Amino acid sequence: MGEALVLLGAVGTLALCAAVFDAVLAVPGGGAGEPLRRVARLLLQQRRRTRLADTLLVRTGVCGLLAVAVLAGAVLPLGERPVAEMAVGVVWFNAMEVGAWGALWLVGWGVNSVYPLVGGYRFVAQGLAYELPHMFALITVALGAGSLRFADVVAAQRGLWFAVWMPVAFAVYLVSAVAMAFWGPMDGPVSDDICGGVPAELSGPDRLVFQAGRYALLVVVAAAAVPLFLGGGAGPLLPPWLWTALKTVAVLALLVWSGRVLPTVRMDLFTRLSWLVLIPATLLQLLVVSVVVL
Amino acid sequence: MGLSGWLAGFAAACPRPMVVTAPHGTRSRLLVEAELSRRGWRHAHAPSGTGLLVVCGTPADALSRAVEMVWTTVPAPGELVRLRGDAPPERVAAALDEAVVRLARPRSPGTDTGERTDVPMADRGPDRDGLTLDRLRVPLGPVLPDWPAGLVVETVLQGDVIQRARVEVAGGLGGERFWDAPWLAALEGREVTRGEAARRLAASHLDSLGRLLAVAGWPGASARARRLRDRLLWERQDQWVRRDFPGFARAVRRSRTLKWVLRDLPAARDPAPGGLVRRVGTWLDRTGLALRDLDDGRPLDDDEGPRGPVGGEPSRGLLAVLPELVTGADLAAARLVVAGLDPDLDQLRGARDG
Repeated sequence: MGEALVLLGAVGTLALCAAVFDAVLAVPGGGAGEPLRRVARLLLQQRRRTRLADTLLVRTGVCGLLAVAVLAGAVLPLGERPVAEMAVGVVWFNAMEVGAWGALWLVGWGVNSVYPLVGGYRFVAQGLAYELPHMFALITVALGAGSLRFADVVAAQRGLWFAVWMPVAFAVYLVSAVAMAFWGPMDGPVSDDICGGVPAELSGPDRLVFQAGRYALLVVVAAAAVPLFLGGGAGPLLPPWLWTALKTVAVLALLVWSGRVLPTVRMDLFTRLSWLVLIPATLLQLLVVSVVVL
Repeated sequence: MGLSGWLAGFAAACPRPMVVTAPHGTRSRLLVEAELSRRGWRHAHAPSGTGLLVVCGTPADALSRAVEMVWTTVPAPGELVRLRGDAPPERVAAALDEAVVRLARPRSPGTDTGERTDVPMADRGPDRDGLTLDRLRVPLGPVLPDWPAGLVVETVLQGDVIQRARVEVAGGLGGERFWDAPWLAALEGREVTRGEAARRLAASHLDSLGRLLAVAGWPGASARARRLRDRLLWERQDQWVRRDFPGFARAVRRSRTLKWVLRDLPAARDPAPGGLVRRVGTWLDRTGLALRDLDDGRPLDDDEGPRGPVGGEPSRGLLAVLPELVTGADLAAARLVVAGLDPDLDQLRGARDG
């Protein structure tokens, strides 16, 4: 119970940090207070409904996004132990984050409006493009560690971080991480050219929960990079939880920053890149790791 | 009421404005954008995400109806600010301040209301893969972020692919052609320096770049283009602009991701090599050249405005090729193509509602 509260607190704090960092990047020399003011505004804002919206689907999607992010985070070690110790933690993590597909599609479809629907289409296409390389990257890690348990994956990196000897898998993981959280160069499903896409018709509390879910997902995919590739809580002097936190913040800052400095990649282009370059590259990486492990 | 009153005041300082521009409202749009950037207010991109709808210029019938429709979908608490096309900077700042004061007033919480109209389902038809899919009639514009003021592209969509497109104009009252003004004034015999024209030309291209980069989803570079534009146009910090511009131009030119994203997208009817990538390069080149001439005191004696000869209404030509260029494209590509054409509907004299 205590650990679950720690997890919620950590995800909430880091999500707010990510929002503040993004706001500071957007408005240099100010803007740090914007996310909290925005929360206040959305709390007071009226909830609007579109015509013939499927409210049940929309609310399932809006809450589902936050739920899958937290559930995916439950298997990540917060220092030494995760909230839920699972022999198939890596699979669980992957299964939960795929729930984001469902969540976005339910919202995009359910509100019965054009731009959210287009955002939903884009996310399904994005999912088809990033998910296979992403899974191969995770499989490479599991193969290197000989286990699907996060604790074993961390233990296997005592000598050398997986980021160092599986650089391709790490790079692909980072790309798929922003794609999964539909962030930065992969923010097509929620991008400004379609009026904000999936959440375009959400207002008030609905929009607030959706945005919270998006930031939570970004935090969780950044945090997962730490046990998967960056040695987990291992490090000199400081306790494991602090190392975990520091590494998570570093990855999170990198992902948030990518959103300011890179244009949004069009989905047809990314699909081509994914199938022609990323999948073969991850398969080669998998082969190399298999040979080394043998 | 205490807590919600305090929250209302706290929230009002960042209302996430959404800016709608009517043709001939370009000047006030630019003033508003400069003022918003000075205040550090980020833009909203949909009515449901905004607390403040800012209308620049005076919409004529069709656009006026569109604005009314959008206003009914802005959730409470929301404020509407209308600025005439010739509003001075002080008026812009004052109007925004007044809106913040009104937004900060505590009020009773809103209820679940407000339904918007449905998109008509047109029919079904074969798509580009030979599947029979639903077709939707969807107008793009006139109220759309980073979109030419007054432009409406009536589309038939299948999925997010445009099957048919037709251009209409939602006009505005007034007659100012902000971007062409120096050349028009010179043609009328008034004294205009080449430096003033160069300033307007550079600012116009920076405005187009800011819009294209925003549509391309590169907020950092877009904000930089707009900051350069504002400093050049309103603050007249020429030294600062000359110092900062080369770095900006280099970053945009070197971005491989941008080249990749714009690749294969047309900038004109003839499939000229380079397409949109070339267009971005041209804008940067011409801006760089114009920045050298800011102090040129000789009288202006040509009519080459930012979009071509100001007497020829070059934007009419851009609108004529637009439907062809976006047909068959998906929405992401179509938005980039429109931003690359960047027609200036202020040029369409007598253009009222289509």
